[in-house]
Amino acid sequence: MTTIAHATIVMERTYAASPTRVFAAWSNIEARKRWSAPADNIRIEYEAADFREGGKDVSRCIEPGNADYVATVIYIDIRADQRIVFAEDVVHGNTRVSSALISVELTPKGAETHLALTMQIASFDGAGMEQGYQFGWNAALDNLGKEFAQ
Amino acid sequence: MTKRTTTHATFVIEREYPHPPAKVFAAFADPKKKARWFGGPDDWQKSNHQLDFRVGGKESISGGPAGGTVHAYNAEIWDIVENERIVLAYEMHLDAARISVSLATTEIKPTATGTRLIYTEQGVYLDGYDDAGQREEGTQQLFNQLEAFLTT
Repeated sequence: MTTIAHATIVMERTYAASPTRVFAAWSNIEARKRWSAPADNIRIEYEAADFREGGKDVSRCIEPGNADYVATVIYIDIRADQRIVFAEDVVHGNTRVSSALISVELTPKGAETHLALTMQIASFDGAGMEQGYQFGWNAALDNLGKEFAQ
Repeated sequence: MTKRTTTHATFVIEREYPHPPAKVFAAFADPKKKARWFGGPDDWQKSNHQLDFRVGGKESISGGPAGGTVHAYNAEIWDIVENERIVLAYEMHLDAARISVSLATTEIKPTATGTRLIYTEQGVYLDGYDDAGQREEGTQQLFNQLEAFLTT
């Protein structure tokens, strides 16, 4: 019998950059590849990338000694410099482990940008994917800050 | 520039049906059956319901009061486990405005007397058009229509 565990996770950061620069770090695939890998031994490869409403990304999270996590994203709502809403599906090996609705809000705060990331997760492997989202996105959002360090 | 706002909310609806899981699942999976119960109030004008029930398949329907606002639903199915689980993401428009995006999971579980259905909707309501209370009310109405359909 299958069971679904539902969870909502919110993460917030303030970056020393304009909303336009922060938005560009999401829309630009090369930038996203740099900051979205959560650890030095993990790399992200894109098999498809189409950042527009209705567009689809397929990315592979590759970690030595572990089966790849393959994420399929469909962008549903994109408002330049303001908001991105997408649905995401994650398959680990041959098993679908989660679906999620993710929204990113950018709000100017003086010369800086406040980012709120809300992940609404339906996990099919108990609490495992909730922890995965916690770990992965915390590290990615910290990395994103380094994009604006220079 | 439009003021962009987002409100996140989750609601859960549970129903018990004196019917086997396969019959309840079929009311979601068979386009002809789903079209019988899935839609706005009877006095609304409706466009054709379209459903391609497979992982990656799409579903759409639109409707509204005569001469009034058009409510449009567009979904993509993310996961199907026969007789057990359906996961989809959907967006709603009122005329040209996108008012919400939701992740909806439907769990179908056997009980001693039939089926327990657990519907969980995790949503983000955009730019102040709608909220979880209104959506839950509308969804309760849909499940009333499903119940009526199952007893026919």
